[in-house]
Amino acid sequence: MNGALGVLALLVLLTLGVPIGVAMGAVGMVGLTLLLGLEPALIKSGVILFETYSRYELGVLPLFLLMAHVCFAAGASRDFFDAAARVIGHRRGGLALAAIAGCAGFGAISGSSLATAATIGLIGLPEMRKRGYSDALATGSIAAGGTLGSLTPPSGALIVFGILAEQSIGKLFTAAIVPAITQALFYMLTIVVLCRWRPSIAPAVQRSTWPERRAALLRTTDVAALIVIVLGGIAAGWFTPTEAASVGATLSFLLCAWRKKLNWKTVRAAMTETLTTTGMIYVVILGALIFSVFMSLTGLAEQIAALVTQLPGGSTSAVVVIAILLLVLGSVLDGLALMLLTTPILLPLIVNLGLSPIWFGIFLVRTMEIGFVHPPIGINLYVIQGIAKDVPLTRIFKGVVPFLLADFAHLALLIAFPALTLALPKWLS
Amino acid sequence: MAELENPPTRAAALIRTVIFYIGASGLILVMLVETLAVIGRHIAWPFLGAIEIIQAAILVSACAAMVLATVSGVHATVHLLTDHLSGAWKSALQRLAALFSALFFIGLACGATCLANEFWNAQEETELLHISFRPLRVLTAVAVASVVFVFARQLVMRSRKSPQSSQ
Repeated sequence: MNGALGVLALLVLLTLGVPIGVAMGAVGMVGLTLLLGLEPALIKSGVILFETYSRYELGVLPLFLLMAHVCFAAGASRDFFDAAARVIGHRRGGLALAAIAGCAGFGAISGSSLATAATIGLIGLPEMRKRGYSDALATGSIAAGGTLGSLTPPSGALIVFGILAEQSIGKLFTAAIVPAITQALFYMLTIVVLCRWRPSIAPAVQRSTWPERRAALLRTTDVAALIVIVLGGIAAGWFTPTEAASVGATLSFLLCAWRKKLNWKTVRAAMTETLTTTGMIYVVILGALIFSVFMSLTGLAEQIAALVTQLPGGSTSAVVVIAILLLVLGSVLDGLALMLLTTPILLPLIVNLGLSPIWFGIFLVRTMEIGFVHPPIGINLYVIQGIAKDVPLTRIFKGVVPFLLADFAHLALLIAFPALTLALPKWLS
Repeated sequence: MAELENPPTRAAALIRTVIFYIGASGLILVMLVETLAVIGRHIAWPFLGAIEIIQAAILVSACAAMVLATVSGVHATVHLLTDHLSGAWKSALQRLAALFSALFFIGLACGATCLANEFWNAQEETELLHISFRPLRVLTAVAVASVVFVFARQLVMRSRKSPQSSQ
């Protein structure tokens, strides 16, 4: 009862616009006060604050953010799209395919869905519209492609999940590689099918010359090398994620200097962005951890687990029910709130069902991503509309529908074949 | 954004700059120490105590980042309802959010201060480099108190502004 009331109070506070971290922390603190008394609740919250902010693993988040902002300042954001556009842009739908490739490449630097959609949208949208692509395909492909930023390692969402669920961030990153690649392939397949069905939506454009292609590909080599060192280092066990983030951030400064973009203005802008985003996420993590202690004391997770395990069909039907619940909640809550609210409740249930917490992390982020492109929240749709102001929101949504279908098929694949997620970390370990 | 509604005074800008430099220094220190530790490990010249420096620097950076995010008004919120409101209702919800935030951080500040007080004479320090926890605990309490101050200020400014805007 206490747990259910806590969740209800949290939803009310979130709807009223109270900051996510504050709402979770306040409900957790009040709940702990009711269960344990005021002094233990305050002391426990103080302990969580100090232990969380001095956690070695928490360094991974600002350092990857710093790497992303410095790479962005170095002008690396458009290189992947430019290279893909030069290589496959002349084919029917080629620029939309290039946008997906650009999103996957930039996602490996930014770790954020919004940043990926906004950045590739700014570069790719005008290009596609200029070449006569339909507005629906152009906006839909970038809105959907942007979600790759949340899953492609080093993903901010996976870092937050790893800290909250006390799971290895390195394993989560490795586990995300195959799902991120298959997600990009599903989107590309969707574009190919759409262009076959209605060729007029994506006309073929002029082919780039081989020297142009070579030059565009060469421009991506330094950033690609940075990504390979960081992700390859984690996967191969050379670095812990925090070490990889530090090495990545240091290399990004060298890359920025190599490209002659390193100056005080650049560094200051990158640092300010990094610190404000970090501060915002740390408060959210802090609130979520206090809330999760309260939830564990209420026993709500165990009660839900007992209900769900009685479902016919075993763990698969339980996961399908959880997926539906997450999709419904994802239509009213934003991604971060969804993850932080559900992890303390659903993770014990998943463990109880004998499923891997690493798999659950990927599944949760994948479900969260779908919320980025479906109404009424669908934040990526609004980001794209901010860039293409003359395209109505309804047309952007129409454009994203085929990609949403691809998302559902991909999610079903991840549920049916957990090995897609778990095989690579197992093999590499 | 609080910052846009209340243009920063010279003193506020100075405080913001100081907080920025504290956070940025902590972050750069983490980056450099960790990179040197990785290089050291691979050339068989380990950087002993690197983790202890990193943990302390992360805490300094995190405290500064939390204050900076609050001053900049960038805390994550759900916009489902607030985006569809305007005028007095929106202003009332903003005040409510600032009030809840201030109360939550007051609770945290009490907890952090109680802990700092309890461990004041406990000689808490790291194993290798003997970095004392005392200044770190004080810093945490001060950072949380600063966040309370920022939210309280937002609450007062919005309460003052609200009657004017409704006239």
